[in-house]
Amino acid sequence: MVHFVNVTMAYGAHTVIDNLNLHVEEGQLVVLIGPSGCGKTTTLQLINRLIKPTHGDIMVNGENIKSVDPVELRRKIGYVIQEIGLFPHMTIKQNIEIVPRLLGWDEEKKAARTLELIQLVNLDEKYLKRYPSELSGGQQQRIGLLRALAVEPPIILMDEPFGALDPITRESLQDEIVSLQKRLKKTIVFVTHDMDEAIKIADRIILMKDGKVVQAASPKELLSNPANEFVEQFIGRHRLYSGKADTVADVMSADIICAEKTLSLIEAVALMRHKRVPGLFVVDDENKLLGKVSIEQIRTSGLSERDVLSAVGIEQIRPVLETQSAKEVFDRMEAERLDALPVVDETNSVKGVVTRSSMVRSLADVVWGNPS
Amino acid sequence: MSGFFAELSRNSHAVLVAVGQHIALSVVAILSGILVAVPMGVLLTYHTRAAKIVLGIFSVVNTIPSIVLLGVAMIFLGIGYIPATTVLFVYSLLPIMRGTYTGIKEVSPNALKAARGMGMSRLQMLRLVQLPLAMPSIITGIRLSSIYIISWATLAAFIGGGGLGDLIWMGLQTYNFNMVLCGAVPATILSLLVSFLLNRLIKRTSRHRREEVAA
Repeated sequence: MVHFVNVTMAYGAHTVIDNLNLHVEEGQLVVLIGPSGCGKTTTLQLINRLIKPTHGDIMVNGENIKSVDPVELRRKIGYVIQEIGLFPHMTIKQNIEIVPRLLGWDEEKKAARTLELIQLVNLDEKYLKRYPSELSGGQQQRIGLLRALAVEPPIILMDEPFGALDPITRESLQDEIVSLQKRLKKTIVFVTHDMDEAIKIADRIILMKDGKVVQAASPKELLSNPANEFVEQFIGRHRLYSGKADTVADVMSADIICAEKTLSLIEAVALMRHKRVPGLFVVDDENKLLGKVSIEQIRTSGLSERDVLSAVGIEQIRPVLETQSAKEVFDRMEAERLDALPVVDETNSVKGVVTRSSMVRSLADVVWGNPS
Repeated sequence: MSGFFAELSRNSHAVLVAVGQHIALSVVAILSGILVAVPMGVLLTYHTRAAKIVLGIFSVVNTIPSIVLLGVAMIFLGIGYIPATTVLFVYSLLPIMRGTYTGIKEVSPNALKAARGMGMSRLQMLRLVQLPLAMPSIITGIRLSSIYIISWATLAAFIGGGGLGDLIWMGLQTYNFNMVLCGAVPATILSLLVSFLLNRLIKRTSRHRREEVAA
């Protein structure tokens, strides 16, 4: 849908876009992201010829835009900007109908389309008669979006459209753009500097730096396989641990509650009560795992308080190795409905425990970043 | 007061003729002023440096006492309606030009960015966005010009331009104060009326703004 072929854009000696090759497929929501000055907005404005490249070719819809009248080109490409830019002297209806008006649609067609559009974002018809200043920022940007959609352009360019909105409104507009995209199948090129936003809405993320593409990939691919240190740094806390780091050692807790097999039952029960656990892992005098004993087993064994744990009949348990993949362990805990699994090294020495809560904590760190 | 009304009824025909002349003088001056100054104001917005120079020159011209300019016009254009209108026309330019220039310059750059991005040509931007948004400022300039022109048109009598200034001039010459009023009162009413009507127009063109426009 949009192709950049060796595009360079320079202001004098300052190169903003450096031999850029880019490919946006039809129906995709592609997010251009990068630090300020990376050329993402320039890239966007090259597409509708608000900026002319110094070298190279840009193809939109199979046509080299050099040979298209810029005014004609722009009417076929929706454009949404951070500043919204509704015309304050026009009503909402007139604002939405501006491009249809430029294209000379008749009143009936315009009115029908406007009604269709306003329903698309669940805004009341009464807003059509109002002026932009009477609407909230979020409502205004919804109208900005509708204005861009009015003549059903196949491509929509969005330049940090939600950057100036409060977080709650931004979230809801992000949801809206994702759902609109699913329904309308537009090709959307979206500029942002907000990684959360990019991950949330993008089919494909193009990370730029100094006028070049550093990495272009799906959000998942970008997060799990950052191409280099810059990408890693830029995605920062969003980084998913790659397979190699995702071992049991990452998700276990060292806080395992063990008891030696020679411990008396009265002490064992006291320990369970103190730690608020329904069972204990049993080890020998060298801290090698023997198995586990539950409070239920002790109760039904009929033994006296002075008997030792080993007399209860220790239940064998297959431990997990530190080096095993966390996913495997997670699956096993799910399948066997276990609350906790002991972790050992190659010599069967106890190293820690994987519990449901330690798992959740580690996953949370992956999703929201580790504060430590 | 009764003397004024007596004078007014005695000279009613002359007063009406003078009012007609006065309106003709002012309207021609202001309309031609609008026709020239609005496009000039628009053109100046494309060239800020030229704008400073042109607006500067006109500011100087407008500080020249009108009586002097009338004198100069008389030297070059003779006496009568034409030189009088010409001088008034020149005076009308600055406020309208400045109103147009600032009005367009003050249009939000965001609206222009959006307009350009959605595929408006330069002319469409001017017609659909810039001029409508600058309208209150343009009309404010026109109102200012009109008030000046209507009062200064009384001086046109000095070079034979006719209008209400004739009555004022004659009254002063003959110590007939009521005759002076016969010229001054209609001129004042005319001025107030135009000012009032244009103020309403300003409000209408800026109804999209939340804040009230200062009168």
